[in-house]
Amino acid sequence: MNDNTMSIPHLIMSASTVVQLVMLLLVVASILSWVVIFQRSIALRRAKQEYNQFEEAFWSGVDLNELYREIPADNARYGAEHMFQAGFREFNRLMPKTRNPDTILEGVQRSMRVAWSREEDRLTQHLVFLATVASASPYIGLFGTVWGIMGSFQSLSMTQQATLATVAPWIAEALIATAMGLFAAIPAVIFYNRLSNDAARLLGKYEDFAEEFHAILHRNLQGRESQSSAS
Amino acid sequence: MWACYLNRHKMVKGSAHMAVKPPRDPQDVGYTWPAVLAVAVHLLVVFFSLVSLPSSTAEPDSSSIVQATLVSTETFTDQAQQTTEQQAALNGSDKPDVAEPALEEPDTREQEALQQQADEAAAREEAQARAEEQARELQEAQAQAEAEAQRREEEAQRLAEQQEAEAQAREQSQREAEAEAQRQREAEAEAQRQREAEAEAQRQREAEAEAQRQREAEAEAQRQREAEAQRQREAEAEAQRQREAEAAAQRQREAEAEAQRQREAEAAAQRQREAEVEAQRQREAEAEAQRQLEAEAEAQRQREAEAARQRQLAGEAQAAANAQQAQQAANSFINIVRRAVEQAWLIPAGASDTMSATIQVRLGPSGEVLLTTIASSSGDSAFDRSAMQAVEHAAPFSELRDLPAELQRNLRQFNLRFTPGDVR
Repeated sequence: MNDNTMSIPHLIMSASTVVQLVMLLLVVASILSWVVIFQRSIALRRAKQEYNQFEEAFWSGVDLNELYREIPADNARYGAEHMFQAGFREFNRLMPKTRNPDTILEGVQRSMRVAWSREEDRLTQHLVFLATVASASPYIGLFGTVWGIMGSFQSLSMTQQATLATVAPWIAEALIATAMGLFAAIPAVIFYNRLSNDAARLLGKYEDFAEEFHAILHRNLQGRESQSSAS
Repeated sequence: MWACYLNRHKMVKGSAHMAVKPPRDPQDVGYTWPAVLAVAVHLLVVFFSLVSLPSSTAEPDSSSIVQATLVSTETFTDQAQQTTEQQAALNGSDKPDVAEPALEEPDTREQEALQQQADEAAAREEAQARAEEQARELQEAQAQAEAEAQRREEEAQRLAEQQEAEAQAREQSQREAEAEAQRQREAEAEAQRQREAEAEAQRQREAEAEAQRQREAEAEAQRQREAEAQRQREAEAEAQRQREAEAAAQRQREAEAEAQRQREAEAAAQRQREAEVEAQRQREAEAEAQRQLEAEAEAQRQREAEAARQRQLAGEAQAAANAQQAQQAANSFINIVRRAVEQAWLIPAGASDTMSATIQVRLGPSGEVLLTTIASSSGDSAFDRSAMQAVEHAAPFSELRDLPAELQRNLRQFNLRFTPGDVR
């Protein structure tokens, strides 16, 4: 029972092919899930920062036409900025064509809903992969363990006497698969919860912003209507 | 995703704005940095698992809790020593056997006996030299093997060598003894023949002349009856002198009468002597036959003993030749026993690592434990009891029956040393 035969690399190398494949799959899943975790964390933090900046700019009392013009039209915007751009563009396009404020507001709402849906898709991309790794990798690891223990019992049946020393390496080897499954699953679960929560909160903020912007446009249209009816 | 961006670009273009650069998403994070970070995380984990594990398992790894030592291997070597001692004793007893018949040889054959002894001595020296030479050759041949072999193997080798040399010596001594017995028998037969021839001649001489008979009788009865013979010779001389005096006196009748009387007396004496001589011869012949019988019985016994020793020697040589194999089998058996006992051992809670108890175990022929005794106690009775219980729980060691018979005898008794050591 020296450390050479019981070290983790030695155990991995001496495992059966199926168990080794399971381990490889789990290592790949773990690496990919960590890639997703880092990528999504950075992306969500940036999205939050940009939203905060835009909100600050939006509520700073600047004229909406100026704000719209500041956004370069050729440069596609994201987040709340994207929603504002889509809604305001639709508003500007519908204004000369119809006098009915309900039609205008409906069009603005629709275009903002489309923009929100795109934002949601953008923010929650790859999170499904994290969820898959989190839920499936323990099972994959367990499969490797069960397979390894099966092999160990098969080989045990050939030995004349089963001592702890003959069983132990097999079981240790088989249990490594479960350990690796858990190693992949635990961060995936934690970060899936955290990232999906972050994305949901950000999307909630976008929705709030859309409603507020809609309210501003509605107020504007009402004022114009009263002005035109008065004149 | 990209498709919808492009669509939007078309829309943007469609709304007649400026030319389009490829859009750059400030939020769209690339995948290179996350990939590098993820790989770094995994490498870190692997590194820690590799670094921390050896340090945790670096604790001293004394291979086993229970150490087993064979008691009976010593008795095996003792047996060999005993046989050599026996052999030495036999050799020692052989020598007087050789010397005694030579002393018992009749004086008349002393020269012959001396000659024989000289021959024997020469033969023995030669044989000794031969044996020594052979032994030396054997030793030389074994020397290289000894140098290479392990210590135990060396022991076995030496043993075999010694036994072989001893076998040689014993064979030699047997041959000598046989030759001696043969010579003895021949000498005895010869003596018998000679005595018969002498008796024949004497009878002839008796018919011819009284004086010759007397001398013959004297020569024949020399050893035991010298004084008597002397007296007889004196009487004869006296008679001669008397006869001469009578002849000188020319007293015919007296002389005749005297001669007649004398003859009668002499004839009587002669008859008596003859009877005595005859009795003596008979006694001697009987004694001779007895001796011969004894010698034959002795030779027979010796041959039997030799054969028995030969068989024993052959067995020992076989054992020595198979020593390695036997050792391996014994080791495997001991390992099995050790593992079984280790597993059955419930170490008492208060046991410290330094405690150690030695239990002597005696097994029955089918591997059941006959007796466990504490050879050296650890000082803690609970500890000793747990060790004995471990042996009893691990029994029976039915693997004993798979071993060859002589190994089984050796392995029937062994010591087990219990040390908690590295029990985790």
